[in-house]
Amino acid sequence: MTRIIVVTSGKGGVGKTTMTANLGSAIAKRGHKIALVDADFGLRNLDLLLGLENRVVYTAIEAIAGDCRLEQALVRDKRQPNLALLPAAQNRNKEAVNPEQMKKLVLQLAEKFDYILVDCPAGIELGFRNAIVAAQEAIIVTTPEVTAVRDADRVIGLLEANDITNIRLIVNRIRPEMVQLQNMMSVEDVLEILAVPLLGVVPDDERIITSSNRGEPIALSTEQSLPAIAFNNIVRRLEGEDIPVLDLVATHNTLLNRIRRLFRK
Amino acid sequence: MTPKANAKLSDLIPPQTVALGKADAQVRLTRQDDCIQILLPDPEVAGSSWLELWDSLKQRLHNTEAFWKSGAIAKLWAGKHLLDSRQLQAIADALAKVRLDLRWVVTARRQTAVAAAGSGFSVEQITPKAPDQPTPDLASSAEYWAEPLYVKSTLRSGQEVSHPGTVIVCGDTNPGSTIVAAGDIIVLGRLRGIAHAGSQGNAACQIFALRMEAMQLRIAQSLARPPEADPDQLYPEMAYLTESGIRLAPADNFFKTHRFAIDQNIWLDSA
Repeated sequence: MTRIIVVTSGKGGVGKTTMTANLGSAIAKRGHKIALVDADFGLRNLDLLLGLENRVVYTAIEAIAGDCRLEQALVRDKRQPNLALLPAAQNRNKEAVNPEQMKKLVLQLAEKFDYILVDCPAGIELGFRNAIVAAQEAIIVTTPEVTAVRDADRVIGLLEANDITNIRLIVNRIRPEMVQLQNMMSVEDVLEILAVPLLGVVPDDERIITSSNRGEPIALSTEQSLPAIAFNNIVRRLEGEDIPVLDLVATHNTLLNRIRRLFRK
Repeated sequence: MTPKANAKLSDLIPPQTVALGKADAQVRLTRQDDCIQILLPDPEVAGSSWLELWDSLKQRLHNTEAFWKSGAIAKLWAGKHLLDSRQLQAIADALAKVRLDLRWVVTARRQTAVAAAGSGFSVEQITPKAPDQPTPDLASSAEYWAEPLYVKSTLRSGQEVSHPGTVIVCGDTNPGSTIVAAGDIIVLGRLRGIAHAGSQGNAACQIFALRMEAMQLRIAQSLARPPEADPDQLYPEMAYLTESGIRLAPADNFFKTHRFAIDQNIWLDSA
């Protein structure tokens, strides 16, 4: 049974696409056949993050219109043979596809893969409806900011209304030193409002930006880093393993910070 | 806990009134005999967009605890909504998921009637009027309220519950959510959104929450914004309407210390 998972957030810029690229790479590394579907028509980015831009020949639009076979539109990853990308069209907008077409397309893909990860556009309009239409599960990406959490809350409500009840949360871009000084919402604060199970926490890290610019997902990097561990742990949790969430704050609970916190109160 | 308990909320903002709510802005489910009535909102009040209607229906089905027997017969009051056969089928499928069997479609539109008949539903074409609708001036009085509505889930940002009766939420209401009730609002959790009790003008209506962290409270035509929440003192509170605006009091002793003065149409502190 193929797992069809949508990665969504409501708000833009919280790291949906980065999350999709990294989780997708990590899932492929574990030996599963996975297809990443870029549902962000008109603003496609996923091919850039995976470093596959120059291999895109056809897009989902051509596959839907019947101008090419679905297999022709799929782009194989250069590092992971298990990973394939279905790119979005860059020259069209989100109204170019309707939910029925999208559902048919994703279900057709599902016959050949173990996992399908759909990268959802920001917003809750037609692009969002297209992205969630075939999904059985959802991953909500949020950052510890009130705006992102508010939008995530709205999106969870819409997912539930559309019968997607298997919803899990990733808190992205946590900055432990700021949480420690109580300048940033903590993971607990976010969970208290959203009330959905936590799938993982990813720290804010400059290396994610450099790896994005290079088109090399950090989850595949041979050099060990906290974000890479976090992404790989998320994938293992997705597969049902019971792995504790990294305690990012603990490493920042230094004597100096404790004294600083004392003086803030 | 007494001195702060009677905090006057309306001090914080200039006197302000809010418009009364609209009774039928949302999908409603009621029972009549053994038949479950699904009342679609008036498109002139709620808008006629199919996506919004669909969200509203799905949200209501998701939030409502089933008060019917499995396989109960359902009757759709579509009013002035224009629905095609694909949309009617989608509604029937959504109802089937909660074990309701859509048999009847009541509509004021000829096209909808034709589509419904073509899809095999029994059709009744009427002038647009849902069953037992009180006129707006009567709707504020408790005897015309609909049965209480139980919402058994978290009310999330962007979700709005409006009901011509009392609303009871078993869960939290998150910031960005709205409850509009012709009757009282009882939140067995945190109230963090907007709550409008007595939306048809009934000043006796109250808002109760285990943790009152509301963005805004409205009772009848009054509006108040609670002070910045002080986390050390969050206990169950009751919001009620007095001469000087909406006030909060600890809920445990409320009915011993307050009474509603019918002649003045406000709550009085009798202690």
